[in-house]
Amino acid sequence: MIQLYSVTKKYGGDSAAVNDLTLQIGKGEFLYITGASGAGKTTLLRMLYAAEKPTRGQILIDRQNVSRIQSRQIPYLRRKIGVVFQDFKLLQSRTVYENVAFALEAQGKKRYEVSKKVYQAIKEVGLEHRLQRKPLELSGGEQQRIAIARALVVDPLILLADEPSGNLDQEVTFEIMDLFKRANARGTTVLLATHDHSLNQRFPRRVLTLDQGKLVGDQQPPQI
Amino acid sequence: MLDKIRYFILRALRNMRQWPLLCTASILTMAIALATVATFFLVVVNIEQLALRWTKEIQVIAYLEKIPDPQDLVTLTKKLKAMPEIESVNYVSQTEAMQRFKKHLGADASLLEGVSRDLLPASFELGLRPEYRNQQGINSVVEKLENRLDIDDLRYGQKWLERFNNFAHMLRIVSIILGGFLLFAALFIVSNTIKLTLYARRDELEIMALVGATMRFIKIPFLLEGAIQGLLGGVISLAFLALSFVFILSRILESFWLTPAGFELLFLTLNQQIILVLSGVFLGVLGSLSSLRRFVRI
Repeated sequence: MIQLYSVTKKYGGDSAAVNDLTLQIGKGEFLYITGASGAGKTTLLRMLYAAEKPTRGQILIDRQNVSRIQSRQIPYLRRKIGVVFQDFKLLQSRTVYENVAFALEAQGKKRYEVSKKVYQAIKEVGLEHRLQRKPLELSGGEQQRIAIARALVVDPLILLADEPSGNLDQEVTFEIMDLFKRANARGTTVLLATHDHSLNQRFPRRVLTLDQGKLVGDQQPPQI
Repeated sequence: MLDKIRYFILRALRNMRQWPLLCTASILTMAIALATVATFFLVVVNIEQLALRWTKEIQVIAYLEKIPDPQDLVTLTKKLKAMPEIESVNYVSQTEAMQRFKKHLGADASLLEGVSRDLLPASFELGLRPEYRNQQGINSVVEKLENRLDIDDLRYGQKWLERFNNFAHMLRIVSIILGGFLLFAALFIVSNTIKLTLYARRDELEIMALVGATMRFIKIPFLLEGAIQGLLGGVISLAFLALSFVFILSRILESFWLTPAGFELLFLTLNQQIILVLSGVFLGVLGSLSSLRRFVRI
């Protein structure tokens, strides 16, 4: 599903945010990307959804070469990828329903299709009773669940999450992990960037460890 | 297709409702900018109109060498009237010239006692059609008259005409420079206001790009919003202009320029009014387009 060959990203200067990274991620995998702050986790994710272009190397997603992608093709790549952020990135002026519907409307989906899928996605994250609320009226955990509903409503092939539990307490974090696991069970490949080791202890999965942009560990989950 | 158009229009209207302050700021900025330019345009047009009226005074006086006999006078008058440049022909006989001179002297008229009435020459006062009330028009009339009449002398207020030409020329240059400056300032302010409103909504633009919206999908509602705001700005500026024309501008112009009786101040023609409103639409779309280019990055 995702292949990286000698991918390097430099932002000017000598040090590379991502340095000569080669790895393969299969369809339907669930993996953690860990490392200290500045290890290159966010840069790696940004290159995957084409917000950044690698300075060197090739990135293939679903057989499409993302490192050579043209601007007008980027929206179509992003329709295959759901992204979840630490700061949720919700539209504060819109309701819960509108925030989730936004992702489908942006893809030009018909209205009847939008309302049905949006309701399902919000129900999936357990917030169907909050449809007409604005994000600021919700707790952090609820906001993140809305952001996850927005990412999943388009049935993405890949779900990228950048420190999704960074602002949340442990109980809420586990609820959110549950949502990721359910999406993964439906076939979505999940990449979760985090420095929270407790997640892997509770939900053991493959772990990629980055240090100063280099891949220093690729640890498979213990076989049960 | 219709579904999409409907969606774009609804989105544009919903955005405007969701950001009432930003939306009002854009509309008012455009209205004020357009009204300023249009007011300036109105003032210039009216001054030009007024100046054109002054040119009515322009006439060519041809002093005759010989006094024509009544028969010749009729033919001559006809001939002069047939010239395309000439609007009116007035024959001033020697007697009439003397009477005018006496009237001019007033109390000192007694000085002329005993002076022969043949002292002053007879003349034709020739009024010109509006399109010939300028240097070239007068030159062509003068040339023709010199060839056709036995003329002693020709007078046509050369100095006055020169001064008027200078004034008209200056007016044109000043209005182009000031008008251009105003237009540029209006464009600058409007595009910056729109830039600010988009800056406040940059999260929305970023999220749209993140969820896979195409450039066109992101831009069209914003451009539509710009067009609607521009349309409203244009209509408000027109209403403002009409009100200020009736209650302020016309009074100022009337008192300041001491407009002659019967001079109607000009307002924008219907076409100019339509152009004003459409300029608002154009301004709104252009302002949004240039700002979007800066904020939308996919």
